[in-house]
Amino acid sequence: MTASLSRRRFLTGAGVTALGLAVPGLLAGCGDDGGAGAGAGDGTGKVDFWIDIQGDANQKYFTDSVVGAFEKANPKIDLNATFYKGEDLRRLVQTALQARSGPDVVRGPSATQTLAWSKAHVLADLTPYAEKYQWSDKLSAWAIKAFSTDGKLYALPMRVDTMLLYFNKTLFESKGWTQPTNRSELEAFAAESAGQGITPFGSSNVDWKAAGEWLMTVFWNHYSGPDALYDALTGKIKFTDPVFVDAVALVKSYFDKGWLAGGVDKYFAVPSQEIGANFGKGTVATIPQGGWFMSQVGQYFGEKAKNDNAWDWMPIPALRPEVKYPLFEMGIGGSLAINEASKNKDAAAAYLNWYYGDKAAALKRMADVPSTYNIPVDFTDAEIPQSIDPRSARVLTSLNKAVETGDYGYVTWTWWPPKTDVFVYEGLEQVLTNKITPAEYCKQLDEKFTAEKAEGTIPQLLERGPAR
Amino acid sequence: MSDTAVRAARSAPGAARARRRAAVIGWAFLAPLLVLNALVVLGPSIATVYYSFTDWSGLGPATFIGLANYTKAFGDPQVHEALLHNGIWFVLFLSVPMALGLLGAHVLSQVRRFQVVFRALYFIPYVVASVVNAAVWKMLLSPTSGIGHALGFDHSWLGDPATSLLSVNFVVNWHWWGFLAVIFFAAMQGVDPQLYDAAKVDGASTWQQFKAVTLPGIRPTAVFLVLMTVIWTLKAFDYIFIMTGGGPAGSSEVVSTLMYKQAFNEYEAGYAAALGLSMTVVTAVILAVYQYLRKKGWED
Repeated sequence: MTASLSRRRFLTGAGVTALGLAVPGLLAGCGDDGGAGAGAGDGTGKVDFWIDIQGDANQKYFTDSVVGAFEKANPKIDLNATFYKGEDLRRLVQTALQARSGPDVVRGPSATQTLAWSKAHVLADLTPYAEKYQWSDKLSAWAIKAFSTDGKLYALPMRVDTMLLYFNKTLFESKGWTQPTNRSELEAFAAESAGQGITPFGSSNVDWKAAGEWLMTVFWNHYSGPDALYDALTGKIKFTDPVFVDAVALVKSYFDKGWLAGGVDKYFAVPSQEIGANFGKGTVATIPQGGWFMSQVGQYFGEKAKNDNAWDWMPIPALRPEVKYPLFEMGIGGSLAINEASKNKDAAAAYLNWYYGDKAAALKRMADVPSTYNIPVDFTDAEIPQSIDPRSARVLTSLNKAVETGDYGYVTWTWWPPKTDVFVYEGLEQVLTNKITPAEYCKQLDEKFTAEKAEGTIPQLLERGPAR
Repeated sequence: MSDTAVRAARSAPGAARARRRAAVIGWAFLAPLLVLNALVVLGPSIATVYYSFTDWSGLGPATFIGLANYTKAFGDPQVHEALLHNGIWFVLFLSVPMALGLLGAHVLSQVRRFQVVFRALYFIPYVVASVVNAAVWKMLLSPTSGIGHALGFDHSWLGDPATSLLSVNFVVNWHWWGFLAVIFFAAMQGVDPQLYDAAKVDGASTWQQFKAVTLPGIRPTAVFLVLMTVIWTLKAFDYIFIMTGGGPAGSSEVVSTLMYKQAFNEYEAGYAAALGLSMTVVTAVILAVYQYLRKKGWED
């Protein structure tokens, strides 16, 4: 080891610690050498895994059905899972990776941010394991491609994401409302709902600041359309194109009318739990949310929530005649990778192979817990276990169909580069509070996107047309 | 040579030895703390200085860019806005809890029964964890289910850019003033009662007694708390981060929350280090001024 390398490592570790001192809440660690080459062997011993699974029931399921099942199948490997909150986990993992420590299996953020981690050389190259275990035969090609750069695989996709319009089914039936499929029907429903004192679309960024990008994902996909998005993401057109600016203006107009969240001020102030409770009670008619919300929405309905209402979901209506209906934006919520500094890469890879390799077990997990375990593996509708909630099953079959027909779009947290992705929701706040116009927002977005695209921090895009 | 001089000459080597031994023992006691501080303060501080001159994402290698982060900070409207918010925060955090704390301490000093109960009540908000306080107040300030809503006033305190910073500051002041009241009250107990008696004999009113006897009597405590308030203003983070995350649209952003965003959301850890170091310099200047004033006898 050279003196300069040693100093750099010292400064690196100390620098992370310094940030931790300067900014409350930041944690840091001092660097150590670590590091063991990827040998694509079989692996034994202890594998540390930090994961953001919340709630006693969910953690118990993970402990029993994932950790327990894996250890039973691989008695020589001890999978040591530690649970954290989502935002805490990202920060902790990031600082640990920089300090050349942390878990063996890395639960990473979105594809776009995991790519930033990969470019910093803190994630192991999974290509030898992908070849050894033939992961390309087990996982959907489009999802594998999103996590490959310069011919190397740096992570595996954790969960398939899409956006849905959850609705209070009982409320819709009692009001005689039908499911809107286009903009005019949607706006007619929204006007009538708001007129009766019912918030048409519940939304809040109080507990998750990035919630704004869920809205932009919906409006860009269902107003601007996936073809325009593909062209923008591949650099053929600019984000300053009116088709994107108008989508932002449309979001703002829905807020200004009080349709979205009951207005901008409430969007910034009403906690999501309260919105969920109002959704269950029927004072909020619908919630545009990700597929992951399916594992939480049930708590707002039925006996526990002290109401007799039921929920369901519908595809997001097309907001322009040129955009197809139904259309499902596709993306990946998080990643699983291997720490470059791990001393037990082979065992970590063995876990990943077990997790992704057994399709029947994966489908059972998807059936047992809505959305959480929706990994991108190829399966037919007939293979989905009968025990699944029909609403969850419909998400799986709808996404299957979207992939087969090409009627899919793009979620911002997977296909936008990291800084641009942050601006999507940070900038939207400025639009909603009239600090900047939709046109200025798109101009700034385009500038950030162009700069990051030039740096190469953008995942390989899911191309138009059938993806299977 | 007198007897005294002879004794002094004979004991001089012994006294020097004793002084050296005392110094060694002192340093031995200090050593663990010094080593710890060198590890967790000095090392990272040096690294922060280094990283503030680099383009560093927080991961991987850093590229030296000279003063670019500092020049960027000078021209960054986000930094200007955050500094302005720090200024507003400082004025409110210094004046409101101080005034309430002094008033509360004075009222406490007049109470003869249940004084301990009142002191405990004043202190409770301070001992509750900031995360809990912030989460509770977030709900209490909700425009659709909070206190205002119950009173028929649906203003979105945290959601309105005009009131978000003030609302968080209100909560911080609420948790802080009781602590100050108890500290001031303790300081007031040290003021000589005879001074009040003398003031009364001279015909001083309650306000005049407070101004001419109490305030000068607690000045060292007050000056120290002012200093701490200044430092805590620059460190303001937890309540803002939990209650508004610096939003909406940066309306409650302060430098520390901006640093966090830059380091962890924007992958601009080098820039965040420059911001942190700049704030450290500001704090150091304030501390230097305080020390200077102390030496000039400001506290006395």
